Amino acid sequence: MKPASARARLTITPYLFLLPALLVTAAVILLPVAQTAWMSLFDYVLFRPRNIPFLGIGNFIRAFNDPVFWVSLWNSVVWIGAVVFFQFILGLGTALLLNQSFWWRSAARALIVVPWALPSVIIGLMWTWMYDFNLGIFNDVLLRLGVIGEPIAWLARTDTTLPAVILALVWQGFPFFAVVILAGLQTVPSELLEAAEIDGARPFQRLRHVTMPAIMEVVATALLLRTIWVANSLDVILVMTGGGPGYVTHTLPLYAFLKASSAMEYGYAAALALILTALLLVVVFAYVRRAAKDLEI
Amino acid sequence: MERRTFIQLAGATALATTLARPALAQQATVRWWYHFDNPENNPAELIAAFEAANPDIKIEAESIPWGGGADYYTRLFAAIVAGAAPDAAMVKLNNQAQLIEMGALEPIDAMVSAWDGRSDISDDIWSVNKSADGQQYYLPLQYVVLYLYYRPDLFAAAGLTPPTNHDEFLAAAKALTQGDVYGFGMRGGPGGHDNWGAFVLGGGASFEKGGMVSDAALAANRWYVGLGTEHKVIPPSAPTDGFRQIVDNFKSGRAAMAIHHVGSSNEMVAALGDNVSAVPVPRGPDGKGWTLFGDESNAVFSSSANKEAAFRWISFLSTGANNVTFNRLTGQLPVVTSGAADWDLHEARFVEASAASLPMASVPPDSPLTADFVRTVWPTNMQQALLGQITPDQMMEAIERHFHG
Amino acid sequence: MIDRRSRTRRLLEVELPILLIVVFALAPYVWMVLTSIKPAADITARPLQYLPSTVTFEHYETLLARTSFAGNLLNSLIVALGAVAVGLAVSVPAAYAFSRFRFRGRRVLMTSFLVINMFPIVLLIIPLFVLMRMLGLLDTFIGVIAGHSTFAIPFAIWMLTSYMNAIPRELDEAAMIDGATRLQTIGIVIMPLVMPGIVTTGIYIFVTSWNEYLFAMMLSGQTVRTVTVALQLFIGEFSIQWGLLTAGGTLIAIPVTILFLIVQRRLVGGLTAGAVKA
Repeated sequence: MKPASARARLTITPYLFLLPALLVTAAVILLPVAQTAWMSLFDYVLFRPRNIPFLGIGNFIRAFNDPVFWVSLWNSVVWIGAVVFFQFILGLGTALLLNQSFWWRSAARALIVVPWALPSVIIGLMWTWMYDFNLGIFNDVLLRLGVIGEPIAWLARTDTTLPAVILALVWQGFPFFAVVILAGLQTVPSELLEAAEIDGARPFQRLRHVTMPAIMEVVATALLLRTIWVANSLDVILVMTGGGPGYVTHTLPLYAFLKASSAMEYGYAAALALILTALLLVVVFAYVRRAAKDLEI
Repeated sequence: MERRTFIQLAGATALATTLARPALAQQATVRWWYHFDNPENNPAELIAAFEAANPDIKIEAESIPWGGGADYYTRLFAAIVAGAAPDAAMVKLNNQAQLIEMGALEPIDAMVSAWDGRSDISDDIWSVNKSADGQQYYLPLQYVVLYLYYRPDLFAAAGLTPPTNHDEFLAAAKALTQGDVYGFGMRGGPGGHDNWGAFVLGGGASFEKGGMVSDAALAANRWYVGLGTEHKVIPPSAPTDGFRQIVDNFKSGRAAMAIHHVGSSNEMVAALGDNVSAVPVPRGPDGKGWTLFGDESNAVFSSSANKEAAFRWISFLSTGANNVTFNRLTGQLPVVTSGAADWDLHEARFVEASAASLPMASVPPDSPLTADFVRTVWPTNMQQALLGQITPDQMMEAIERHFHG
Repeated sequence: MIDRRSRTRRLLEVELPILLIVVFALAPYVWMVLTSIKPAADITARPLQYLPSTVTFEHYETLLARTSFAGNLLNSLIVALGAVAVGLAVSVPAAYAFSRFRFRGRRVLMTSFLVINMFPIVLLIIPLFVLMRMLGLLDTFIGVIAGHSTFAIPFAIWMLTSYMNAIPRELDEAAMIDGATRLQTIGIVIMPLVMPGIVTTGIYIFVTSWNEYLFAMMLSGQTVRTVTVALQLFIGEFSIQWGLLTAGGTLIAIPVTILFLIVQRRLVGGLTAGAVKA
């Protein structure tokens, strides 16, 4: 791009515009991140401030030999994959439906954002309460409908706990996708869809060949930002299961958090967090490279 | 570390200044952190009474979210690291060793011996609160003792009496497990070491080196895990049940026995009336028993510039009628002997069961590793054992490794 | 005839599924509202009591009269609005730079904003606490606002950049050729056009700040306590105040939902504008 290279000479202006954001971010996030990254090289245990031996990459080696790290990593993969996928599918479906016209559409649009408007603490507690073995509404309804013969301990089994927590997070997050995709859908020119319909394209074909390509960029950006968000979100799991039973709902950030706040092993926790960041970076770079042209990065 | 030296220096200077002139000639402000279960209660009246009696001291009380203990202590430790610790705060023994290792606590031996309220707190409570290094850092404030809740009506119907040893307990649990009632509402989530301790520590395990993997310890733990895996006398939700679930299970008639303390007795009575009572937890084969002493104390922090004023405040809270008033706000038991006589916040049978349990009440070891044992090591291993992912013996080996490498 | 058939189809293919989704979205909230108007004994009754035996507002009365909740709501509002103001004030210029300039390090910087977002914030709280203590910002509105706005900056910059990219560059070039300064161009051309995007981003920052717990818990004391922290105070060591908690949860969702209702049109319009550039 010629104009771009011409503009590149005015170097100082863009940096001035960026300065406030850079300063604030550097002070409030970058500095603590750098400190934490530095900590990962030490056996830094919070309650031993006088004895902080240097380990080099010792904490990282420890992670690779730690079975709980691998369990947590695998759970994280399942967690991110399932949560993002189902949030997206449900959000997409909701957006497609809300893009139709019906008389109570604006009410429906406002109501579906309610889950997003609640703090995670409340969400975690309410869902735990609903899953309760004894007083939970899930068991009660399913028993009344005759779907199950006896109550299920949803949050105390190896097979149901992770899915149960995933469902809670899907509920919390699908409105985000619904809102973003709905907005994207408004931009799809209706002439295109009509033309496709006249050409005999069936609804699914129209979705695949006309609608989806048009909203692809919005979807991709939303997916990227959401993946990062979900990868790091642990408050709902923490409230609902604390990572249990056993290690069934340990995800990587949760494990790092427990190592830091319970065992107070900040050095090791920092190493775990850095590994998580590095893995996410791979995802992001793959995305940025692919999207570089479209996003004009 | 530089910051530490600075704090020590600042602390020393402050101390020197206090010593140099008549105590608290100037207005002192004491920052005190606390946590109450009921947000409707606040210590305003106690503070007003204290400030009226000590016009030279101002109390800045701050309630910190408990968050299962994690939030409270994360906040406290962060404040200590940042040099912004309060002057005094409510603290528990699980974290004492860590706080001492950080040099965050001020020994209060001298101030305690000069305090007239000292003798109103029983020697048992003082000794439980003493630290491993022999010094006194914690000033007892309130306590609970874990005991066994049971349903007199169900026991009577089955022709049983409350169990006094582990065999009777198992027999009763089996007999009472019928339909949707389970014999024992076991707590398997974080904090459940208080249930486990009664049977496994009470059955011969100990925190000494090798104490978790002795034959008696392994057998006791196999027996305890077997309540779920073999005898199925506990609800399927037990692996992740916390205090709320075990209390709710018991209140709603799902469980015939549960291990908790006087703090939940009022809601138990509200739900079940006379159909709930309590006895000390059953004793082990050797006749000894173990139950958890649920402690809460106040401590003065070494970084405080107003240690003497801080001690005056915390000792005020542990004195006679004030301690009684305080426990009315928190729902636990006063540490003062003078307050026990006409304590009426809880029904007498539960206070008696608590008192009867005191002789076998104990706390986890005074080790910096205890807090993590309670919050993650014990629950993750217990849950895996209950779900059959590891054997009971592997669970005990993991606990042994945690404490002794 | 055809009309009726298509109406039935619409009912089956659109309204019924969306009704199910709305029910899914609302059910836990409704359950919470129902719990909040039950007498305490109903809450843990078995068999389950779906509807309150008598409707009571005692939990709300206690919440507002006997706890600091009302004041905490106000604090949250100040913090969230402050975070929106600060967040936008730094993100809008940054997004403008990314959108309108091609400069050395642009791609790296833009990616970096995303990358630092990937580090779990839970591990930063102790360094942040130390930092805020050094700056004397513990338990101040400025401290919490600084934190909340900064956490939202990466996302805000990415969203706003895409909105700005949607505005044809020819527009500002034309304005500048006509003799407008850069700042005038921003004020007259860019800002009005990108307004929906700014509103959208503002809402995102508001919601994030409104719901944030950990940072607010660490950095706020009695003075700046937010609602999420206040709610946590209802979960004690030995008891959970279900009535207060659900009443608080019910109230906490209302301001955000009303905000959504008000700006709904702009929100959708905003995202639309952002999407055009793709």
